[in-house]
This record gives sequence, structure tokens and C-alpha cells, in this order.
Amino acid sequence: MITVENLYKSFGDNEVLKGISNEIAEREVVCVIGPSGSGKSTFLRCLNLLEEVTSGTITIDGQVITDKDVDVPKIRSQVGMVFQHFNLFPHKTVLENIILGPMKVRKLSREEAEEKAYELLEKVGLSDKAKDYPASLSGGQQQRVAISRALAMDPKVMLFDEPTSALDPELVGEVLSVMKELAQDGMTMVVVTHEMSFARDVGDRVIFIDEGIIMEEGDPKEMFANPKSERLKTFLGQIL
Amino acid sequence: MEHLIGVLPYLLVGLQWTFLITVIGVAIGFVIGTFAGLGRLSKNKLIFGICTVYVEIIRGTPILVQILFIYFGVSDLFGINLDKLTASIIAIALNAGAYIAEIVRGGVQSIDKGQFEAGDSIGLTKSQTMWHIIWPQAFKRIIPPLGNQFIISLKDTSLFSAIAVHEILYQGRQYASSVFVYFEPYLMVAIFYLAITIPASLLLRRLERRLDV
Repeated sequence: MITVENLYKSFGDNEVLKGISNEIAEREVVCVIGPSGSGKSTFLRCLNLLEEVTSGTITIDGQVITDKDVDVPKIRSQVGMVFQHFNLFPHKTVLENIILGPMKVRKLSREEAEEKAYELLEKVGLSDKAKDYPASLSGGQQQRVAISRALAMDPKVMLFDEPTSALDPELVGEVLSVMKELAQDGMTMVVVTHEMSFARDVGDRVIFIDEGIIMEEGDPKEMFANPKSERLKTFLGQIL
Repeated sequence: MEHLIGVLPYLLVGLQWTFLITVIGVAIGFVIGTFAGLGRLSKNKLIFGICTVYVEIIRGTPILVQILFIYFGVSDLFGINLDKLTASIIAIALNAGAYIAEIVRGGVQSIDKGQFEAGDSIGLTKSQTMWHIIWPQAFKRIIPPLGNQFIISLKDTSLFSAIAVHEILYQGRQYASSVFVYFEPYLMVAIFYLAITIPASLLLRRLERRLDV
């Protein structure tokens, strides 16, 4: 589904990604972990071109998205993204947040887009909030709306950038359970997270990124039980 | 006392000119300023350069110089005869446009980067993101400084008495020098300006409250 080859990314003189290669299969749930500043978020953001890669290639569903002449908005519309800080549009209602993309990018009619939006809201348990503005929702609710907004575009893959890091602890569960359901429905997902229990229970594979390279990867249970590298041992020691 | 009343017909004529020049001028200035402000955020060096030069020239020269340059200078250069109203409207539009450009730039830059990214991430083009997501939020925030600019421009029209535009100040001065009385006519001139600017301020404050900015 996704093939990353020799991905490098620098910000000025600061080299953040130093040659990352990986294959992500269809329906696979990959959790990306690592210390802050390791490059894991940058890696994720390269996958929908929010960051321009310095060198290397990324292929999604057969299309090389790192080519110079690609239609960037079109590629982004096929890759869903969920942000740490939700980034809902505060001047639009929950419903309007969700239907904007389908109407403007997919050119659906308002009726079609709304029908789809209500289905998604039903799924994340927020049907009654359709007409509310984001500011009146809790963080957990906002993030569930943000997930619906991304899903409304029928993405081939969903990217999550620390989706629960900005939430109060008691609200983390509701977001994770929506993500778990999504994984069970067969969505291909790449999740940057600090939620080790989610990685263990839902993730098919864990990638440990440190200092811009993939230090270690494998089955979550296996990796957490027997970390090979010193760095992963230290990292797990700090967060578990 | 009689001159407080006597000057009124003059000032009422002046009021119409002042109002006409300000409203049309600032409206055009808003359009210019919106494009110039967005141009100042453009990655295209040519667009950025043109907009920056425009803003710097207007901000760096007095509006009195600008109106004289447009009314006499440009007319002279091209051998055309700009009428005073047109010259005044152009001067206010260009002047307000430059300041509004900075207001617009600041407003857009004040919007959280995450909003741009959220627009990008659902596949909107840059202009769709600007139009549907950034601009509505930025516009709400720039209403107070826009109102402020309107009041500044309104007062700036008094300088157009230099080219004998029949605005409020010019009208008051005409009356005063015809009757050789100065206190009451100029007092009334000041009252006329306040009679527009104070209600404008109040209206603005109500609008801000309604929009919750």
C-alpha cells in the first residue's frame, strides 16, 4: 500500500530524517513510537506531503507521490490526517466541518455529503452534535469529529499524529476505541502515539524511530517484551 | 451664535463630499488592501515585491503629497484632467489600501498554522483553504482595525481642501473667511467630524460584540 524508500528530510541544516525505508501493507495498523524530536511526526507528515521531502521516494497505492509534478491536493485528499490539536474549523459547525472536503474536493452534492456525514457521526457516537460548533465540544468529541472529517474523504490510508496527546486522560479512551473500531474495519493506519497499550492491542507492527532512522521494528508484544536496542530499552523504561 | 447656524448649509454640502469620498475610497481600498495583503504573503517573489513596494511607498509618504501628486503630478504627466472627486477617491483608496494590506496580512498570519494544514490535508487547494477556512476567521479578527482605518481615512479627507475639494473643512474655511469670524465655524467643523466618528465607533463596538471578536 505504502512504500517508503530512502527518505531524507532536512529543515535547513537540521537533518531530521536520515534514510527511512519501509513497507506498509493494506489493512495494516502501524504504530510509530520514539522520543520527542526523533522525527516520527515529520515522517508521518511526509506521507501526505505536509512536509516536502528532501530526497527519497514515497509510493502510495502504486503512485509515486514524491514526483515533482504530482497533483498535491489530489494526493492529500486520498490520505486522511488526524492532528494532535484536532484543527477543526471553529467558524463551522460539526456537520459543515465534515462536508466541506467532500463537497469542494469530491464535488458531492450537499445531500450526499450530509448523508455520509451523519453516517460517520453515528459511527463515532456524535449524531446529536451535528449542528454544534467545535468550541462547545470536549477534546475527545472534537477529535472524534476530526476523525469523521478525515474519513468523509474515503481515504486509502489514515494518518494519526499523536491523536490523544492533547486530551485529558479520561477522554483518551473514547478516541482510542473509535480508532480501534476503524482498525477492525480494515483501514490502513499509521499512528504516531505514546499509547503503548493501543500499540500492543491494536497495532500489527511497531516502528521505533530515533534520531531520524528506524532503530527497531516488529511485532508489538515481542518488541515491548524483548527490546533489542539499548535505545528502545531506555525509551520503554521512561514511558512504561 | 448666528455663525454656528450660518455655517451649517456649507458644512452639509461638505459632509456629502467627505462621506462620498471616504465610503467609496475605503471600499476600493479594502479590495486593493485585501489583494496587496495576500500578495505580501505570496511565495511568488514578483507579487511579493510589487505589493511590498506599494505598501512602503504609501506608508513612507504623507497623504498630502500623495493627493497633490495624483491631482497635479499625474494629470500633468499624462496630460489628462482628473476631476477632484476622482483624484480624491483614488488617493484615499491607494492610501487606505496600503494600511489595510498590513491589517489583512497581520490577520491572516494570526490564524493558527493548523488551520492551513487541516485545509491542505482534506485536499483543498490553497485558494479554497484561503477562501473557506482562513479568510472568514481572519476577517472577523480584522474588523476592529478596519473600523479604525475607516475613521482615519475619514479625517484624512480634510487634507483634500488643499486641492479645493468641497469637503467639510474646505467648506467651513470658505464660510469663515467670507464673514471674518473663525471660532464658531471651526467649532462646527470639529463637531461635524465628531458627529460621524463617534457614532461610527459605537457602531463598530456593537458589531464587534455581536461577532464576538
